[in-house]
Amino acid sequence: MANAESNVAEDNQDAALIGRIRGGERAAFIGFYDRYSPLLFSVAARVLGERKEAEDVLQEVMLVIWNKSGDFDPQLGTLSSWAVTVTRNKALDRLRARTRRLRLIEEAAILAEDSDASSYPSANEIVHGRERAELLRDALKELPADQRMAIELAFFTGLSQSDIAERLQQPLGTVKARIRRGMLRLREQLGGAL
Amino acid sequence: MIDEGMQEQAAAYALGALVGEELRAFEVSLRVDPELRALVRELRSVTEALAGTAAALEPPAAVKARLMLEIDEPRRSGPAPAPERPVVLPGAAAPVGAPVGQPVRPPASRPANLWVPWAVAAALALLSLAFIWQSASLRSQLAAQTARINELMASAELARTESANLRQAVAKLTERNRLASFRIALLDSLLAASPKTIAVSVWDNDRQDGIFIVRNLKPLPSDKDYQLWIIDPKYPSPVDAGVFQVDAKGDGRQDFRAKLPIQTANQFAVTIEQKGGAAVPNTKAMVLAGS
Repeated sequence: MANAESNVAEDNQDAALIGRIRGGERAAFIGFYDRYSPLLFSVAARVLGERKEAEDVLQEVMLVIWNKSGDFDPQLGTLSSWAVTVTRNKALDRLRARTRRLRLIEEAAILAEDSDASSYPSANEIVHGRERAELLRDALKELPADQRMAIELAFFTGLSQSDIAERLQQPLGTVKARIRRGMLRLREQLGGAL
Repeated sequence: MIDEGMQEQAAAYALGALVGEELRAFEVSLRVDPELRALVRELRSVTEALAGTAAALEPPAAVKARLMLEIDEPRRSGPAPAPERPVVLPGAAAPVGAPVGQPVRPPASRPANLWVPWAVAAALALLSLAFIWQSASLRSQLAAQTARINELMASAELARTESANLRQAVAKLTERNRLASFRIALLDSLLAASPKTIAVSVWDNDRQDGIFIVRNLKPLPSDKDYQLWIIDPKYPSPVDAGVFQVDAKGDGRQDFRAKLPIQTANQFAVTIEQKGGAAVPNTKAMVLAGS
């Protein structure tokens, strides 16, 4: 019930914001940029492994928000989650155009195994505040390592489930189940924080 | 109720890992199944939370400046202003019924001195055009200068932010003291000409290895190497921790080990040496140091 109410509130906020951006209201666009650019830039930098190209991706994504906000479908997520998806896809497009993919996959796999997410402030901390960021961090920490690795490989490296199965030398069904269980578990743990 | 197979697809879809025929089939289901859309919506929020676990980076101010210029562009080059109405001077009134904005046709016969107001009108029109052109040119120059100033300010801001981010990260790690065996050092540039250069060395004393990250260090010619040194009071001279290079932008990352067992990594330093490194540091060519 609380989730449904918060969804409605988010929908209303998103609808208002997207309406203002579509109407060419610069202040609304700047507000969106100021709030979400650290998150989107961090995602692009994480996927690409470098800042310069991440800057270009951020600029591209923001121009999509400004010029093609009609592509946003509120039924499939919030405005910010849509922006994250667009950012990730644009960063992956660039990554695929380069030959560094395998190296980054290796790095991501190692990060997924060994990373200590508490070492550095996360983008969540900047965008959503410390309390919520810690909740997210704890939820991820409690996730079994195999589930977390499969999820991070899928999101940050752009591997398909079949690619991940090959990479991890696991049956495809196992990988699919890990991703499903991990994502549903995160959804439950994060609950109202989402 | 959504079955496990659909849940698997929804999870993969939210992560962007669904491809090909499976993706197309899922999108068809998505269009007709509101319960599935609701699940995807929630899982996309999970994805957003996952995305937010990336280390926080502030984009440089230059990105915002460029973006603002870009979104203003269509308005600057938007529709041309409506044509100026011709200046109609006394004695040259438009004939009744002449369309507004059309050139005024002179009467068939007129006194000889009536050309004077027309000449004045033409001169004023030319003058107006000159002013409009000059004004546009000045506006364009002003915009270019403003953009340049923004770029410079952004560049300075970037250097400050990067330095602050690194310091903040080091401070947090040190403060938490999460692993007592870790030695984290921030190395500053010793060269007045390279104030933006900054580096971090993280040394794990238990494992006897470390990671060195540097930004904005000048790339060296091919016959030279940067060499990292660990200062341990146990030894009379700095301990060789290997050589490294930086990329064209001056950034580098190096996993390193010391040539001798380290008891206490008190300080770290970087010198410029001949290719392959030296047994003892050339202290006159020390470029970075810190503890």
